[in-house]
Amino acid sequence: MGPGVRAVGDGGAAAKLRCVGVTKRFPGRRRQPGTVALDGIDLEVGENELVCIVGASGCGKSTLLNIVGGLEEATEGTVEVDGAPVIGPGPDRGMVFQAYSLFPWKTVAENIRFGLECAGTPRPLRAERVQELLGIVGLTEFADTLPRDLSGGMRQRVAIARALAPEPDMLLLDEPFGALDAQTKQVLQDFLLTVWQRTGATILMVTHDVDEAVYLSSRVYVFSSRPGRVAEEIEVPFGAQRGPLVRRDPRFLDLRDEIQDHLRTNVR
Amino acid sequence: MSDTAPTARGRRQSPLFQLRGELDGRTRLMLGVAGVATLLIGWEAAARVLAGDSILLPTIGQTLTALQELARSGELWGDLGASLRRVGIGYAVSLALGVVLGVAMGSLASAEASLEPVFGMVRYIPASALTPLFLLWLGIDESPKLALIVVGTVFYNVLMVADVARSVPTPLINASYTLGAGRLTVLRRVILPHSWPGIIDVARINLAAAWLMLVVAELLAADQGLAFRIVRAQRFRQVDRMFALLLVFGLIGVASDLALRALKSWTSPWARA
Repeated sequence: MGPGVRAVGDGGAAAKLRCVGVTKRFPGRRRQPGTVALDGIDLEVGENELVCIVGASGCGKSTLLNIVGGLEEATEGTVEVDGAPVIGPGPDRGMVFQAYSLFPWKTVAENIRFGLECAGTPRPLRAERVQELLGIVGLTEFADTLPRDLSGGMRQRVAIARALAPEPDMLLLDEPFGALDAQTKQVLQDFLLTVWQRTGATILMVTHDVDEAVYLSSRVYVFSSRPGRVAEEIEVPFGAQRGPLVRRDPRFLDLRDEIQDHLRTNVR
Repeated sequence: MSDTAPTARGRRQSPLFQLRGELDGRTRLMLGVAGVATLLIGWEAAARVLAGDSILLPTIGQTLTALQELARSGELWGDLGASLRRVGIGYAVSLALGVVLGVAMGSLASAEASLEPVFGMVRYIPASALTPLFLLWLGIDESPKLALIVVGTVFYNVLMVADVARSVPTPLINASYTLGAGRLTVLRRVILPHSWPGIIDVARINLAAAWLMLVVAELLAADQGLAFRIVRAQRFRQVDRMFALLLVFGLIGVASDLALRALKSWTSPWARA
């Protein structure tokens, strides 16, 4: 894959992330047919945009996120960030997973610092950045706590702070709030909006929670299952100013129902 | 029957006999003491019942006297030193191999694919069956004894460390990559620290096998060592000495077990249950 394969002149604002025809096939075992997890996904995320992918389990949405993160390879198609092809993982694309991704032997501050150490950030700068991030995620007084002594919601805030530490071009969130209870989830959704507004991050998030997708994102890609395809791309009309009131907006409810209908018809 | 009292629902369980029940610290300690006391009382009683003109089962007192005697004459220290050195060196080599190969197998699919079938087969050969071969190859000094200890434990160490390394959660490794860590950094700063408490557990569990191989080695050819001394004592029907030496084995086991447990909770407080 040379730099020359980049599509030129396709118009529109330059996308931060562009997936073209991304297909993922898993080979079958012992005469079993292989499975097609993703089938020709075209998808774009603009600079500073927060986009969600929703779909039932098995629609390949996490696989797509892993491909964008460089953790898996697409069978076909291209993934570009700022026009450069993705060929592996890197600190320019911070990832947050559903659970079990914090270093259990490291304190909160040490977890956040890990990416800075990998980048070779000078010590004084590191400390400063860790303090800043602890402030952003509201965990300053838990700097020296081990993950095991934190609640599930706090752990995910640490994971987000850690992903933000190397100042990535974009954040990839894989059902980051999927393991949390309903109340904590709502608090963290508002927290994510705040982080997004404060840092101007470009965010691609995978979720199976339709409310969450509509509440957070400016666009929602609805995936169908087996094989995973983009069934629908839906604009969410609420601007950057979001808050709990949005949940009661009739347009919010309409969108939610519309997406849920899509999911139902696409699940087999 | 309106005037009968309502029957209680469910069944109350005593914590002593509850499956997966939890005991408070005092009860635990008392039960532990009771277990050891039962063993000692049983031993003492049996020794007194069996006591005849020739001693086949010494009492606790006779055993301790024999132990004192061994210590005073200096034999104990020489034997203890020789045996500890053999196990120390042999097991250290085995652990080093176990950690290197085990972590490789648990982290690299290629290492696993190439090593698993080899180890899977070789480990079924009883290491003690190799003793004659080692004596033939390596003579009768220290090297065949060390080789036996290494061979008798290294496969368990490798395969169990591999399991430990495999149990590092994938999200942890993936997260490290996306934070800018290279493969070497992930190995050194993620897989190793995460595996460390598990590696100590493996070392603790397989240490018993190292002592087993030591005994095999010393029974065959040695002029010093705890197991050699037991064979010696048997020749002179000094059963009290034999028991004293068995007691030493037991004490070493308990001490090393406690030491490794302490090392684990000291170096990896995050892994405490």
